[in-house]
Amino acid sequence: MIARSQRERLLEAAVRVVARKGYAATTVADLTKEAGISRTTFYEMFDDKEVCFLAAYDAAVEALVRRVTAAFEVEEGWPSRTRAGLEALLEALSEEPELARLALVGVAAAGPAAQRRYRAALQRLTPLFDEGRDFAPGGRSLPANTSRMAIGAVAGLISDELAENGADELPKLLSDLLFATLVPYIGPAAAAREVGETSR
Amino acid sequence: MATDTRRDLILAAMIRVVGTKGYRETSVADVIEEAGTSRTTFYKHFEDKHECFLAAYEMLVDRVLAEVSTNCNGEQSWLERVENGLATLVKLFALDPELARTAVVEVAAAGAEARQLHWNAIARFTEFLEGGREMADGRELPENISLMSAGAVSGLIFDELLAGRAAQLPAQLPDLLFAMLVPYIGPRAAAEEMRRVADAR
Repeated sequence: MIARSQRERLLEAAVRVVARKGYAATTVADLTKEAGISRTTFYEMFDDKEVCFLAAYDAAVEALVRRVTAAFEVEEGWPSRTRAGLEALLEALSEEPELARLALVGVAAAGPAAQRRYRAALQRLTPLFDEGRDFAPGGRSLPANTSRMAIGAVAGLISDELAENGADELPKLLSDLLFATLVPYIGPAAAAREVGETSR
Repeated sequence: MATDTRRDLILAAMIRVVGTKGYRETSVADVIEEAGTSRTTFYKHFEDKHECFLAAYEMLVDRVLAEVSTNCNGEQSWLERVENGLATLVKLFALDPELARTAVVEVAAAGAEARQLHWNAIARFTEFLEGGREMADGRELPENISLMSAGAVSGLIFDELLAGRAAQLPAQLPDLLFAMLVPYIGPRAAAEEMRRVADAR
């Protein structure tokens, strides 16, 4: 359907332009030019730049969550599953460094609605972390916020790296991310062992 | 000096306005009005909104850390210091939601230099966590371990502030403590501390 592929083109264009120019400097004209659509068509789909950007953000998050979850579910045993998911996450972010930086670092400059989207995006990964509650002895009595906080640790490490050094060395974060994810559930000794064992 | 006092008023006003309207929506006019000062005075001290914000943020951080170090000292055990430090932080944030929002949420919207100030503040705050390495019985802990704890804690605080729940932050202290301690002492010991703090409330 022409309408759907126009929307997809526009969302992809939005991600490219905003990653390049920053959110504030991006205009609707930039978006329509990059997507090869008319202004009229733009306003048939979206009320304004912000609504378009949020839709683009949601679409990118959706694709990322699917990819991470797929990698997670291939493996057996929660630590291995977690490792695969985190590896896929780092790979995906490395493939699109501008988008990664925008999604984790630059999003705050796009206003409170975008910040909320970012927090909601992080929470999409909660089920992957919550599996630790079943895996770990006594895991069921851990605080309900454990997965939320572990995701916060992971996001913090990735954001710091992106802000400091871009995406070039993201893959080297894997061990630390894995440790941060496992440690609230199985403790530092077991987490360190798993990180050592599952590294290839 | 009179001009220093006016500078402080402007900085305090910046924190209040940004903590209410957000960094993006804040204008120099807003800050001037809140501070009860003039445009001339503002521009005598600051180039623009951005520079004023950076100065305000540094003042905010010094204030928070001064409060934290008042309640944490070298004579306390590591556990006590972590607990007192976190408790001071959430109490401050609960009492001053605008300061909290500026410190944790809006700083991310103010550019790379602001982010660097934020990062420095977190590093200073977690300095006293380094005592935790001794708790780990000489085990190899990741370099980044205090960053992990900081990420866990600030993520939860961020969400609560975004939802307008600054006043409820002290209720989250047990969970925050768990997140801070768990990479060093493991979930069982961290949960024990968490329960002790929850029971004492």
